[in-house]
Amino acid sequence: MLIEQSAYANRWRHVAPAAKALFALGGFIAAFAARQPLAAMVVAGLIVSVTLAGAKVPVGRYLRVAAPALFFLGISCLSLAFSLNLDNDGQFQSLHPTPAGLQKVAEVGARSLGALAALLFLVLTTPLIDLIALLRRLKTPEVLLEIMVLCYRMLFVFSAAVHDTVTAQSARLGYATSRLALRSLGGLAANLTVQIWQRAHDLHVAAQARNNDGPLRFLEPTFANAGLDSILAAASGGLLIALAVVLS
Amino acid sequence: MTLLDLQDVSFRYPDGSIGLNGCSLAIERGTRNALIGANGSGKTTLFQHCNGLLRPQSGIVRYAGAALDYSRGGLRQLRSQVGMVFQNPDHQLFSASVQEDVSFGPINLGLDETTVRRRVADALHAVGMADGADKAVHNLSFGQKKRVCIAGVLAMQPELLVLDEPMAGLDHKMRTEFLAVLDALHAQGITLLLATHDIDFAYRWADHIHLMAAGRCTASLEAADLAECGDALSALGLPLPTVVELHRHLAAQGLLAQQPAPRSHAELLTRLETTNHGKEAACR
Repeated sequence: MLIEQSAYANRWRHVAPAAKALFALGGFIAAFAARQPLAAMVVAGLIVSVTLAGAKVPVGRYLRVAAPALFFLGISCLSLAFSLNLDNDGQFQSLHPTPAGLQKVAEVGARSLGALAALLFLVLTTPLIDLIALLRRLKTPEVLLEIMVLCYRMLFVFSAAVHDTVTAQSARLGYATSRLALRSLGGLAANLTVQIWQRAHDLHVAAQARNNDGPLRFLEPTFANAGLDSILAAASGGLLIALAVVLS
Repeated sequence: MTLLDLQDVSFRYPDGSIGLNGCSLAIERGTRNALIGANGSGKTTLFQHCNGLLRPQSGIVRYAGAALDYSRGGLRQLRSQVGMVFQNPDHQLFSASVQEDVSFGPINLGLDETTVRRRVADALHAVGMADGADKAVHNLSFGQKKRVCIAGVLAMQPELLVLDEPMAGLDHKMRTEFLAVLDALHAQGITLLLATHDIDFAYRWADHIHLMAAGRCTASLEAADLAECGDALSALGLPLPTVVELHRHLAAQGLLAQQPAPRSHAELLTRLETTNHGKEAACR
């Protein structure tokens, strides 16, 4: 939901998604092209600044969205940094950080941060509906797009259905004790299964009523200045890559 | 001229429950029609027959004088002429963005992109949602979703618009706005058929009122004559519109003339005020 709010509320909401995707792609390539951790960190820093200062994504929201990814990155880095020594019998001897491991952590961690910043830039500035439209223009298979559209839409329909059912259950003390909670959860799952079935049928009927006979097709949104934005974004992406190469 | 005509239509669902049982109903072109019936009386089943979503097991459905053609091409033609707005907007909206969802019908009609864009813009404008074209569907209020549903159907430029309980779940302000949308559509010559439980609203708004019970249309009445049709209403357990009862009492007290019967409270109040003014002027 945080991502969703930001995607709709940022300053670059109406910039062409192709431009934003090009910049993000530039960021990805720059992160991978950076051979020195410092270069990757500079790339990450630049992309983060662009997201915060350019697109005006609030810092607090940015950190909250980034926190889970950073947590997992941290854990992975820890496992890379430490070396586990076992003796011949497979018994534990020691666990200590190694210089090679630390070097690896710096490289992988910095690159991951760069790539994460690029990905966050894209998702925090571009609503999924624009991304799907972009994927459609890039000739992504229609079936995949339909699944994405329906899943995305259903996500909200079902979160509302889950919320309603849980509220109704709580109102009748459904979650008063752990035993009752387990029972209510079972009821919730069963209820949702039936609802999903019913919803799927209803949507099929609604699609038929509007003359649908196969693929789900929609109008693509248009963006003013898409050409200029894309050129600017491609140039900025190129600069990031050049910077990463020069600093490495 | 009759636009849609159902004759002795019966439909039974696979689980054995009866949807329609010898239902006959005629909708005149350019009129406002209200369908009133208890839950489970077959209103939604009847609506789905109008759009060719269900096919009668016996009886016949005619559109503009011709029996419905259930071939692929025939249904395509019918569904471009008969638009259907479902009761729950979440059952109808499946694209994530407002503009995309409204474009779904016209694109299915095979129109070119320029025409689709124009129709989408016109339809959103007609329901007062022109500013929300780029919004995500899940960020809309219930009333806004309903309007987007209507826009999605309007963009197909139907002759007959069928709305399943469109007022359900709308607050007073949303109802008023929604009625303005319906009136504008009627002014454009679109024939309207809607299901409702609200007899007062039906009496105020509709030209024709159709009563349904147990899968059949038990009576089709001119709304203006409803005051005289108390029997048909009470057979369905429905009261007379409150404004009719009030007017009768006032007329019995000699405060208002018997005819014509007012259709709404606003009309009744105006009549009362004019009558009182008349009396005060006479006293002076």
